[in-house]
Amino acid sequence: MSESEIETLQDLHAFLHAAMQLEHATIPPYLTALYSILPGTNSDAHHVLRVAAVEEMLHLTLVANVLNAVGGDPDLTVPGFVPSYPAYLPDGERDFKVDRQRFSLACIQNFLEIERPHEAPSQEQSVIRRKEQRGPRLGASPTAPEYQFFSIGEFYQAIGRGIQRLYSAMGDSLFAGNPNRQVTREYFFSGGGQVIPVTDVSSACRALDLIAGQGEGFGGGIYDAEGELSHYYRFQQLTLGRFYQPGDRPNEPTGPPVNVSWDASFPIKTNVTLADYPEGSELRSAAESFNRAYAEFLAFLTRAYTGEPALLAEAIGDMFRLRDLINQLIRNPIPGLPGTNAAPTFEVAALVWEGSA
Amino acid sequence: MIFPEGATRRTDVKAATETVYDAVVVGSGIAGSIVASELSAAGMRVLVLEAGVGADRTLDGYEQYVSRFYASAVKDNQAPYPPNPNANMPRGTDVRRIFPGEPDTSAYVVKNGPLATDTTYTRVLGGTTMHWEAKTPRMLPSDFRMRTQFGHGRDWPISYEELLPFYDAAERELGVSGDVDDQAELGVPFSERYRFPMRGIPLSYLDKTVAAGVDGLPVEFDGERHELKVRAFAQARNGVPDPEYDGGKGFQPVGAVSTSQVEEGERCQGNINCVPICPVQAKYSAGRTLAKALQTGHVDLLVQAVASRVVLDSQTGQVSGIEVKRYADPGSPRHTTFTVRGRIFVLAAGAVENPRLMLSSGLGDSSGLMGRNFMDHAYLLTWALLPQIAGTYRGTVCTGGISDLRDGAFRQKQAAFAVDIHNDGWGWATGSPYSDLMQMVDRENLFGAELRDALPERLSRQLLLAFMVDVPASESNRVSVDPALVDPLGNMRPVVSYALSDYTMRGVASARRLSERIFQRLGAADHTYYDPSDPQYTTYEGEGFVIHGGNHLAGTHVMGASAADSVVDAYQRSWDHQNLYMVGGGSMASVGTSNVTLTLAAMAMRTARHIVSQLRRHDAGPAAASLPALTH
Repeated sequence: MSESEIETLQDLHAFLHAAMQLEHATIPPYLTALYSILPGTNSDAHHVLRVAAVEEMLHLTLVANVLNAVGGDPDLTVPGFVPSYPAYLPDGERDFKVDRQRFSLACIQNFLEIERPHEAPSQEQSVIRRKEQRGPRLGASPTAPEYQFFSIGEFYQAIGRGIQRLYSAMGDSLFAGNPNRQVTREYFFSGGGQVIPVTDVSSACRALDLIAGQGEGFGGGIYDAEGELSHYYRFQQLTLGRFYQPGDRPNEPTGPPVNVSWDASFPIKTNVTLADYPEGSELRSAAESFNRAYAEFLAFLTRAYTGEPALLAEAIGDMFRLRDLINQLIRNPIPGLPGTNAAPTFEVAALVWEGSA
Repeated sequence: MIFPEGATRRTDVKAATETVYDAVVVGSGIAGSIVASELSAAGMRVLVLEAGVGADRTLDGYEQYVSRFYASAVKDNQAPYPPNPNANMPRGTDVRRIFPGEPDTSAYVVKNGPLATDTTYTRVLGGTTMHWEAKTPRMLPSDFRMRTQFGHGRDWPISYEELLPFYDAAERELGVSGDVDDQAELGVPFSERYRFPMRGIPLSYLDKTVAAGVDGLPVEFDGERHELKVRAFAQARNGVPDPEYDGGKGFQPVGAVSTSQVEEGERCQGNINCVPICPVQAKYSAGRTLAKALQTGHVDLLVQAVASRVVLDSQTGQVSGIEVKRYADPGSPRHTTFTVRGRIFVLAAGAVENPRLMLSSGLGDSSGLMGRNFMDHAYLLTWALLPQIAGTYRGTVCTGGISDLRDGAFRQKQAAFAVDIHNDGWGWATGSPYSDLMQMVDRENLFGAELRDALPERLSRQLLLAFMVDVPASESNRVSVDPALVDPLGNMRPVVSYALSDYTMRGVASARRLSERIFQRLGAADHTYYDPSDPQYTTYEGEGFVIHGGNHLAGTHVMGASAADSVVDAYQRSWDHQNLYMVGGGSMASVGTSNVTLTLAAMAMRTARHIVSQLRRHDAGPAAASLPALTH
């Protein structure tokens, strides 16, 4: 048994906290690319990115349900919850980092790497030893930091095995969480998949399978178990220039053509940080406003995931405000960097920490 | 919802003319789409003709409509849709003052007066659901007995109870969000333990502000006391699915329509521009039902195909075909003419185009009522400025209102009305917010930060109440044609003659009095002003009003119990032509105080079931030999 296996309830909680962090980590890059698209262009790409971002919110919610079911406390306000970019995903080859960047071919190729289907040859190989690496990691094993998972799918399989193992030992007392914290269907629906309330092993596994399937496809196919096109193949439609339709095989979409203008996005600075904006500038202040709003949004979600699920409906209004703040940044050039536009920096850890101190 | 790729192009005209369809449906709006969907689900072969421009419905194409609306200086109901002289449609901005004896022929719909009306309908794929408000109240049981119970207008040949199961079906098809109690409290019976597919769209902050002043307000009409309460309206826009719907099976909302899988529009986001066009397709449009119909593979669709004549078999008196003029370019009148055939013909082109087509085909019916009994709700707008910021411009166009005066013994003397609280400020009445901006810049010399602060401060205090007043059927209100007035394809244009009765105007005047009381209770400054130079200005007992159309068109092929006194029977089947159905608002014998779409959708469901049983009965044996044989 690998050191990366879940042995205790504490391990399980730690893995699930890490899973929430992982699910959230793709949202800043997806939103940045989405809102960088020039208005009136790239409708197809806009919708592919929007759905991916919305489904990451669904995954975040599903993990929160699992964590709540097993008595944990979801918390999106802990320092470090939002990674700093570029950041590694738990990919075996570690041949790429995730960037916050403008919509472009390179950007979509980066997202394809995030979501690409991976299957480790065997369980032993699914956990690989971390070699020397630099940069933050999104999926390092929480119990044994020197290990990393071969893919996001493998990571969720480890959680599934942990739940089975703990259930054998603990029985129903594993699912001692407050059922009122479960986010049920009436509180969350918007495209692609339905939220699953988690009360037992079977619902927990279904929630985890949905997350993995929506990212990479299900059982080697392009659709997930609910007939939703998985993220990898959604993104791939943009590079292949054609939509998938039911019956299609991987890499061979035969649906209507997809129209993409790869250059039709604002030239924002990749992985821009507050330090790129001059002290005292309007941009700096706008970027700080966004970071504050984003921190508040994460605190709001934390409340929704810890007993007030109805707040998720109100969070929709906050998302529009976040969009407006992002749009303000993305439309403005950075002083001293001709031809380069601003973007949100998502540097919220310090703010959240100060806010909750 | 997947719209099959190529569905608007794949139907070959030659093949279509060589086919005898089970049913030919004229119009791809909600009535036609429902009939096509129900018939094709039962295995029937259907041809749908759409006069307007149509391309495969894609998310991108829909968003071009949205962009066109955003970019348009005049944001009327037709703003999203490019002009199309070959399938022209009226615009609210067409309305001109009519002088006695001089019909206004300046726009597509000729207005014969005496009253001008800005009423519209939309001729694109999906019909008027491409601009509708999507409010879906059921009609009241008494609305079906207007003549018997109140002595005005006409009775229906069917009762509310007969239509009830089809209301349920229509609410599923449209995806209605609502709370049953909001209508049940008004005396509308529902099926036992009925729930709407989705929970009610919540009241806006503005609704609640108005409710604080209005709830409990007593109104005495004709000695009868009514107490007012602000209630939410049932609406065909996606809300929170009710897990208890359909005996606990729940409901899966239907979102945007496109040729590829998209995830959009599964929940209303409260966009104030939802009329005419919801930016995310959370509002129902007939494209959803049409896409479902096309998915069956039994439906052919011809777009840019204007039905120009209903052709009769001179022997049987049955309809033998529909002559179609098909154009390639909306900017050019060049077209080809051909005839399509079917066993059943269904006219679903709306309450103006249906009788227009019949009359221009020389088919005034034996009752003489074709085109008569034209109805549309009479809308009276009143507007005021609230003393406090009330969140105007948040929410969809209308979330709540007052329904307590929709029914009562007073309807013997004056028209009933429902009241909408408009979340979009004074726009409908004054052209706000653009008119406010011009006022502030030109008259008040505001600019910069001051202007930026002043505009939302004033707009978010605006309150507009829209009173939807009943208009009973009257034979002198009518749609007719004039062979001298034709469109570029040579099709006769509709001519509308329209006046409002004293019965309706008494309702209008009492609505105005009520608005004054409500504004007073709210401490709101009444800014209502009816400009005598407005084309829709009219007077009643010395008081002037401007009456707007509600685009709730009805009555023009009215249904009834006998061939002598109606155009269609209770199944919307023509009395004169056994294989012809005229579906839609035109069959309605009254409009009451309900927006017509839900009711006409329920009627389309009922008619579709009837048509399926007719065709099956005919195929089963020679007994009912009144239909042409299946020859394809």
